[in-house]
Amino acid sequence: MTTRSLESAAPTRERVATPTVWSRIWQNDAPGYLFLLPWLIGFLGLTIGPMVTSLYLSFTDFDLLTSPDWVGASNYMRMFTNDPKFWASMRVTMFFVIFSVPLKLAFALMVAMLLNRGIRGLPLYRALFYLPSLLGASVAIAILWRQIFAGDGLVNKLLAVFDIAGPSWISNPKTSLWTLIILSIWQFGSPMIIFLAGLRQIPQDMYEAASLDGASRWRQFVKITLPLLTPVVFFNAIIQTIEAFKSFTPAFIISGGTGNPINSTLFYTLYLYQEAFAFFRMGYASALAWVLLALVGIFTAISFLSSKYWVHYDE
Amino acid sequence: MTTRIDRRQFLMGTSALVAAGAAGVMPAWAQADSLRLIFWGGQARADLTYGVTDLYKAAKGTDVEGEFLAWNDYWPKLATQTAGGNAPDIIQMDYRYIVEYAKRNAIAPLDEFVGGALQLADFDADQLEGGKVDGKLYGISLGANSVASLVNLPAFEEVGIEAPTNAWTYDDIMTMGEAFNSANIRGGMKVISDGSYTEPMLDNWLRQRGKALYTADGKLGYDEDDAIEWYTLWSKLRDAGVCVSAEDQAIDTGAVETTMLVQGKSAIMPSNSNQLVGYQAIMQDTLGMIGYPRIAPGAGGGHYRKPSMFFSVGGSSAKKEAAAEFLNFFISDPEAAKILGVERGVPCIAATRDIVAPTLDSQSQIALNFVANLGDLLGALPPSPPAAAGEIDASLIRTLGQEVGFGAKTPEEAGRELISGANDILSRA
Repeated sequence: MTTRSLESAAPTRERVATPTVWSRIWQNDAPGYLFLLPWLIGFLGLTIGPMVTSLYLSFTDFDLLTSPDWVGASNYMRMFTNDPKFWASMRVTMFFVIFSVPLKLAFALMVAMLLNRGIRGLPLYRALFYLPSLLGASVAIAILWRQIFAGDGLVNKLLAVFDIAGPSWISNPKTSLWTLIILSIWQFGSPMIIFLAGLRQIPQDMYEAASLDGASRWRQFVKITLPLLTPVVFFNAIIQTIEAFKSFTPAFIISGGTGNPINSTLFYTLYLYQEAFAFFRMGYASALAWVLLALVGIFTAISFLSSKYWVHYDE
Repeated sequence: MTTRIDRRQFLMGTSALVAAGAAGVMPAWAQADSLRLIFWGGQARADLTYGVTDLYKAAKGTDVEGEFLAWNDYWPKLATQTAGGNAPDIIQMDYRYIVEYAKRNAIAPLDEFVGGALQLADFDADQLEGGKVDGKLYGISLGANSVASLVNLPAFEEVGIEAPTNAWTYDDIMTMGEAFNSANIRGGMKVISDGSYTEPMLDNWLRQRGKALYTADGKLGYDEDDAIEWYTLWSKLRDAGVCVSAEDQAIDTGAVETTMLVQGKSAIMPSNSNQLVGYQAIMQDTLGMIGYPRIAPGAGGGHYRKPSMFFSVGGSSAKKEAAAEFLNFFISDPEAAKILGVERGVPCIAATRDIVAPTLDSQSQIALNFVANLGDLLGALPPSPPAAAGEIDASLIRTLGQEVGFGAKTPEEAGRELISGANDILSRA
C-alpha cells in the first residue's frame, strides 16, 4: 500500500523507471531465453506451427498435390452426419479405452501390491515387469503378437493340450480387438512403478493399528490402501486414458494397416491415418485429429471435475 | 588426405545449412549434375535398378541417385515431396495414379522428347497407349504383366486330379474343391483362396460379362445385380467348404508370407504374372501359372496386358531431357535389359525381349510365356481407373467381401452397399 501511494504521488519517477525495468528484464531473463532457444524453436516450429496449420487445413480440402480449397465446416459436418466409418472407428476406440484402461490399472495395482511385500530381489522383478512397457509399442512385439494369436499360434497350441480348438484370434472379428486389449494390459509397467511408489508412501502404522482393531486384509485394502492411493490412481488413469486414445502401432501392424477383419480393429487413429496417407484427404484427416484432441480434452476435464469427489489428498 | 573440421567451422557450416533449409534453397551440391530417382519395391528390385544406374554412370557419366520404399510408404512420400516442390526427376508411376498425377502437372508430358532422347519406334503400341493421358505420353511402361493364378502343383498330385489349365471355369472350382475335401490333404487344404474381395478378380469376372470396374469417364461399370451375383457365387463356394474360410482368409494382410498359398491353406491363389518369382522363392512346392477362371467354357477377354509400372518425369524437374535420356537407356540398352530381366514385367520392345529371354531362369520363363500366350483370354486394355479407385478397393471391396464371409451381411446387402458406397466415394473425389 505504501509503495503504491508513493508511486502515484510521484508519477514522473515511474516513467523513468519503466525502461530500466525492461532493461533489467532483458539483462536478467535474456540468457534464460537464449538457453531455451533450441527448445523454443522446436516447440514453435515443430509443434505449434504444424498444429495451427492443421487447424487451418481442417477447414479445407487438401490432397497434397494441389493447393488447399477452403470448404468451411463441411469436413466436421460430414464427420458427424454422413460418415459411418467415423462412428465405427469411434466405437472401436471407445471400447478399447473403456476396457483396456481399468483392466490395465487393476492389473498394475495387483502386481505393485505383490511387489510391495518386501520380497527379495525387488529391483530385478521391478525391471522384469517393466520390460513389456519398453517393448510393447514396438513393431516387433506387434508382429510377435500376430504369431501368438494366429490360428496355429502359441495360444491355440496351449489350448490344444486341453483339447480345445481355439479360433484364429487375430482374424476373427469377435476376438481381434480383445487381443489388442490384452496387449495393452500386458504393458502395465509404468502405472505399476507409479503405484509401487504410491504404496511406499502409505505409513505402515496405519495397517498395524487397523489389524489391532481386527480389520481384515480386504477391509484394510478398501479403507486404507485405496483412499490413500487415489491421487496416484487419478494420475495413472488420466495418463493411460490419453495413451489409449492415441494407440496406433499395434492395430496398424496386426491388421496390416487395414483395421480388418471387418473394421473390428479400425482404431480412430488408424482411420485418421488412412484418410491422410492412403486416400490423401489431409483436410478431413486434420479435422479428425482436432475432434480427437477435443475428445481427449473432454475426457480429461471430466476426470478433473469428478476428482474432488473421489480423490483424497493428504490434508 | 584428412579433413579436419574444428568446432567453429562445424557450427558455421551447420547454421548455413539450417539457413539454406529454412529459405527452401537446396544446397548446391545436391543439384550438381545428378538425377534423382524414386521407386517402390523390395531389396531385390533395388539391386537390379542400381545395377543399371551404375551402368549408366559408367556409360554416360551421369549419377542417378535412387531411393526406394515399400508400396504403402511410397505414395505418401511421393505426394509429400511433390507438395513440397521437391519431387525427384524420375518417378516410378502406377496405372492407378498416373491420371491423377498427370492432371495436376506433377509429372511431365514426354512427347517433345519422342524421336529425340526417347526412341520408341519399336515399343509395343498397347503399352505405349497405356502411358497416355488425354492423348499425351506421361509414362513409359517398364514391362507388361497380367493377372494370373498361381497353382501349387504337388498339391494336385496328392489329391490325384489334374491341375487346371487356362481352360478352367468357375464351375470347375466346385468339382475340384470337392475332390480336395474328400482327399483331405495337408490338414484340410482348400482348392482356392477366397477371391471375393480381390479387386482384380472381380474386374476379370466383370470383363468376361462385358462389363468393367470403371468406364472411360470414371463411373462405375457394373450394377447391383452384378455385385450381388458376385457375392452369391463366392458364398456358394464358401458354404460348400471349397474356398478357405473367412477366418483363415482374414490372416492375409497383403504381405506375401501371410497369403493362403504360402500358408498352405489353399492350392490356387489369384495373383499377377510377375509375382511367381517372389512366391516360388519362399515356397517348397513347385508353382504353376494359369489364367483366372472363365465364367463359362470358352468365355474370355477378361485378361489384359497391363503396364506393370511406368517411369515418369517429375513435372517440376529442371532436367527433363536428361531424365528422358536415362529412361531410354533403361528400356533399350542390351546390358541393362540383361540385368533387369522380367522383374518389372515383360519388356515392351521386341529386341529387348529377345535379349532377355535366353538369360531367364525357369520361373521367369513361365511368366514370360504366360503373358505372351494369353490367346482368347486377352481383351482390350481398360481405361485407367479414376483417382478414387484405390479407396473403393480398400474401404469397400475388401471390407464387404469379408463381411459376407463372416456372415455379417448377406450377398444382397453387400452388393447394394458396394454400389451405393462406390458412387458416394466417386462423387466425393
